[in-house]
Parts: sequence; C-alpha cells; structure tokens
Amino acid sequence: MERKSDVRKKSVILAACAVAAGLALNGCTKKAESSAAASSAGGPNFAKGTPSETIIKTSAAAGKVGNWGLGNEYEILALLSKYGQDQKFLSQAFDMDGFDDSSIWLASAMTYNELGLVKNSYEGGYKYGDTVGTIDMNDEGVAMLEDNIFSNRAFAKANPNTVKAFLAASVKGWKYACEHPDEAAQIVYKYGSSVSSEHQSYMAGEVKKLVETDTKGSTVTNYGNMDTAAMQQTLDLAKKYIKLSDSAASQKLSTFTLDNVMDASYLADAAAGKFGKPEKSSVSIQLKWLPQAQFMGYYVALDKGYYKDVGLDVKIVPGGGDISETTAVYSGQVDFGVTWVSNLIAANAGGMDLVEVAQVYQRSGLVLVYKYAK
Amino acid sequence: MKKHIIKKEAVSTVVYPVVFGIILVVLWQTQILHHLLGTDTFTLPLPSRISSIIGDNIGVIMTNVQATVFVALAGLLFGSLLGFILAMVAAMSPHWGAGGLTIATAFNAIPIIAIAPIFTNLTKDFSSDPNVRSMFAKILVVMITCTVSMGINAYRGFTELKPFSLDLMKSYAAGRWTVFFKLRLPNCVPYIFTALRISVPGCVISAMVSEYFAEYIIGVGRQIRESIVLAQYSTAWAYIVTACLIGVVMYAVLLIVENILLKGRGIK
Repeated sequence: MERKSDVRKKSVILAACAVAAGLALNGCTKKAESSAAASSAGGPNFAKGTPSETIIKTSAAAGKVGNWGLGNEYEILALLSKYGQDQKFLSQAFDMDGFDDSSIWLASAMTYNELGLVKNSYEGGYKYGDTVGTIDMNDEGVAMLEDNIFSNRAFAKANPNTVKAFLAASVKGWKYACEHPDEAAQIVYKYGSSVSSEHQSYMAGEVKKLVETDTKGSTVTNYGNMDTAAMQQTLDLAKKYIKLSDSAASQKLSTFTLDNVMDASYLADAAAGKFGKPEKSSVSIQLKWLPQAQFMGYYVALDKGYYKDVGLDVKIVPGGGDISETTAVYSGQVDFGVTWVSNLIAANAGGMDLVEVAQVYQRSGLVLVYKYAK
Repeated sequence: MKKHIIKKEAVSTVVYPVVFGIILVVLWQTQILHHLLGTDTFTLPLPSRISSIIGDNIGVIMTNVQATVFVALAGLLFGSLLGFILAMVAAMSPHWGAGGLTIATAFNAIPIIAIAPIFTNLTKDFSSDPNVRSMFAKILVVMITCTVSMGINAYRGFTELKPFSLDLMKSYAAGRWTVFFKLRLPNCVPYIFTALRISVPGCVISAMVSEYFAEYIIGVGRQIRESIVLAQYSTAWAYIVTACLIGVVMYAVLLIVENILLKGRGIK
C-alpha cells in the first residue's frame, strides 16, 4: 500500500524528468537551428533571374543539392561536374519535405511529379505556386533519356511479333493519351489511385510535353522514336558518371555502343504494321513506379482494347519502392519493363542482356527546383 | 580433467562451424550450390568473383564498414546502458519499473523498417551536417533493439536470485543498496552476457537496416541496397559477405571476452 506522500513524491519526480527532457530536446533543436542559420550563406532563396550557374555553385558549395540516388543521380553529377563542383549530393527522400523546410536548397524533382506537388495546392501539394524556379537538364546539356520500353534480348529475338505487336498497341495508346490527357489521367486514376486525380491530370499534361518534345525543344510525332544523338549523349554521360565497383562491369561499360543498348528494328516494323500473330499472347509489363499518369500510354492501351486488337492479353505490374524492374524482366517474372536508359546501361554492364525497343520520353523530365527570394 | 572438457568445447564451438563454412564455400565455387538452388552465376556470383571485387574496392568497403560498425557499437553501448538502468529501476522500485520495461518491450515489437524513417524525420534538426544527423538517427534505432534485450535479461539477473540468499541478506539487516551491490549485481553478470549474445548480432542487423532509410548514403547495408537497384549483383554480394563477416567477427570477440570475464564461474 503506497502512502499519499509517496505517490506525490513520485509524481513530482516524474514531472521534473519530463520537463528536463523537454528542455533538453528544445535546447538541441535551438542550437541546431542557429547553427543552420549561420551557415546559410547565399541560400536557400535565390533572386529571380539569377543565372543557373550561380545557383548551382552556391548550393553545391554549401552541400545543399539533393537527389534520390538509386540510379537517378547521373544528370546531377554531370551538372555539378560541368560547373567544377564536387560530385556530392544530399540523399533526398521520396517526398519534398527536405525542400519545404529548406534543408535542401536545390532539390531534384520530376516535372510531372514532384514539381507538381511543390507548385500546386491540391491534396498533398506544398502550395509554392510561382515562387519556385527550375533548372532544366535539357537546357543545361546534361540530359539523359528516361522512360523507355525494354525486354530481354533473347525474349525479343524469340518473340519478334509479340514485341512488335506490343509496341504498335502501346504507341497507339500513347498517341491517344497525348491527344486526350485529361481522359488518360482519369483512366489511370481508375486503375490505381496512388496520387489524387488532380495530380494525375497535372502529371498527364506534363508527361505529354516530355513525350512530344525532344531535348532540343522540337516537336516529335513518331512516338517511341530513339533519337540517335540523344541516346548517344545518354550513353556518353552514363559511361562517365556511372561508377561501378565491379571492375569487370566497369570495363564492359567502357566498351558499350548504342547496339549494346537499343534495337530500333522492332519499332520500325511496328510503325509500318509489318508483324504477324504474336508468338506469346499473354504478356506482362513492369512499371518503374506506382500507377500514375507517368505510364498513361499503357493504361489507355489496355483500357481502350488496343492490346486486345493486336492479339495480346497484357497485365500491367506496378512498381514502387525498391522494386527493380530490370531484375524482374531479367528473371522472366515479366516480359517487358519500363525503366530509365541509365538503369538499363548499368544492368547490362553488370551482366544482364536487356534491349531497349522504344524510347517513350523524348526529353529528360528531371529538374532542380529552388525557391525565389521574396 | 578440466583441460579435457575445454578441448571438447573448443572442438564443437570452433572447429565444426569452420568445417561447415569450408564445405559451403567449396560447394559454392564449384557451382553445385547453384544446381541445388536452381540459380545462376549472375544472381549468385562465385566466391572468386566476390573476393576479387572486395579486393579491388577494399578502401571504399572499409569506409562503409567503419560507418556501420560505429553505429552498431554506439547503439549497443548506449542501448545496453539504458536497458541496464531501466532494469535497475525496475528491480529497485517495482512500482516504476514494471511499466517501463513493458513500454520498452512494446517499442521492440515495432519493425525497424517502420521506425527508421520516423526517427530520421524526428532528428532532422539535430545537426546541419547530414552525416551527423543520419548517424544520430541510426544510433537511436539500434538502441531500441539493445535496450530491450539488456533490460529484460538484466532484470532477470537482478531478481532471479539463489533461493534463500535474499532471506540471508535480510537476516543480516542489509539495506536495499547493500543487497544490490553485494548480491544482485554479481548475480547479474552472466545475464548481461546472455543479453549481449542477442544484442551483438541484433545491433549489426539494426544498423544495416536503419542505413536503408538514412539521409546520408553510407554503410554496408545501404550499399547492398544501392547495388541491387542498379542490378550490380556481384557488388551487392561483396557487401553481403562483408556484412556477414562483421557479424561473425563481433560475435567471436564477444565470446572471447565472455570467456575471459566469466572464467571460473562454474559450469556454463
């Protein structure tokens, strides 16, 4: 049986401990905040019209450039190298909280995804509107091509009609999606609501720009086209900035030509309609991320029956997190995949034999976003 | 007589595992293992390939090993200390203690994969240097595993005393703290090592998983993730083997220390 005085004593001690802990934590934060403020020489806000060179140099010197890593960082490394900066970046989480609280000054963002979240005020948006500026990789000359369709080289060789039929239907789906982006966004939202439908609409509009404009700004009408110059730039940057610890892989990478990466013959035949009955009618495609308008072409093709028209029964497998689309295709779990060209190059250097059959995104969608000074 | 017993124990604890390891490596290199598991040399590279990658990149690998081991040891030290203090409080004032231990155990039930990103977010303001921030968050995650293990085992060490020993102390009119230092604390020492046998491998695993979600890209666990995402399986395996070696070496060190400190304590 505890006496009242014992209980009172214990509650006083407990309260004192809680207060002390709270003060200590607060003290820690205050100390960190003041030291952070003291070190923010030049950033995190930049006046409108500041040249990108200044912004990049200031942010890199302070160590406040961010990227997700995991194979998405090569354009950033190329950009830092272009301006003579150290090739270091902060590891950015998959949200934009680091940009929001200014712990990252120059954050990586995809025009169709993270940039939309930063600018807009719908669900999940950070409401920055026009108070942010961007540095575009295409304009800086360090663009590496991204979303493409690929499969195992052996699979493509053994099932050429399947590949051509798949490409024909997918290209038709992308064409429709680009002509009707809002409808495409709604179709994708129906298949997977990983982001809000307003964000899907924004994303569809931005993805259309990436699919229909090339790295130099010209319009593209042959969807999926693999522009040799842009692909070569991607390969050259990959050779320079993908550092592989495996010396055998590194050696292999240095010998790569475009033939190790892509094969344009399938797309050419698909566009001309020169293909027969698919050898394998039940196929699957592994997406690079969660279902969103980034992949609207495939969902539209599925929804409108374009795949069925060419005799294919297609299953779209969502990605996300650490799911590796190159591994999924290599192991035969899926027949096709969507990945970035740099990932495919690294995978082939490591020992896989993947081949790109269509380049859906004609320009890089990666930008570095920064806040304008008030 | 004693030398005979020690030799027999040495055989079973050291020789058998080493022999098993050698057999495994031989099966692996000759690809019999690949036939058994139905895999190929791309997803499961040969030991010769793995060791050549480790040899080529020993500098980078050691930097990552240092980061992981630092986090693991710091978490082990602070976590075990915290667990020990919690157990002390629980043993000396049962009113406070029982609740504290239960809360700590509940924390341990939360998967590390869920807790690591939360701690990374919570400790954002700790420092302006991302390496220090990440280190702090990772150490906190490792502490959780070690606190509980040490807390529960130390509590048992403090409270599971030989029959009548407490009564003997009472008959000497010994105060609470005399009983603690003369009876409970010496009794606790083997239990501390039981806790460490769980904590040491546990802290290595927690350190590596917490690296997955940390802000700064460093550590053996993180490099496994980075390599697999780029489909560099040979490099990933090089780091996996390194991770295994870290665990084995730390556990071996623990066993040696335990042997030295608990010499002459009687039958194990």
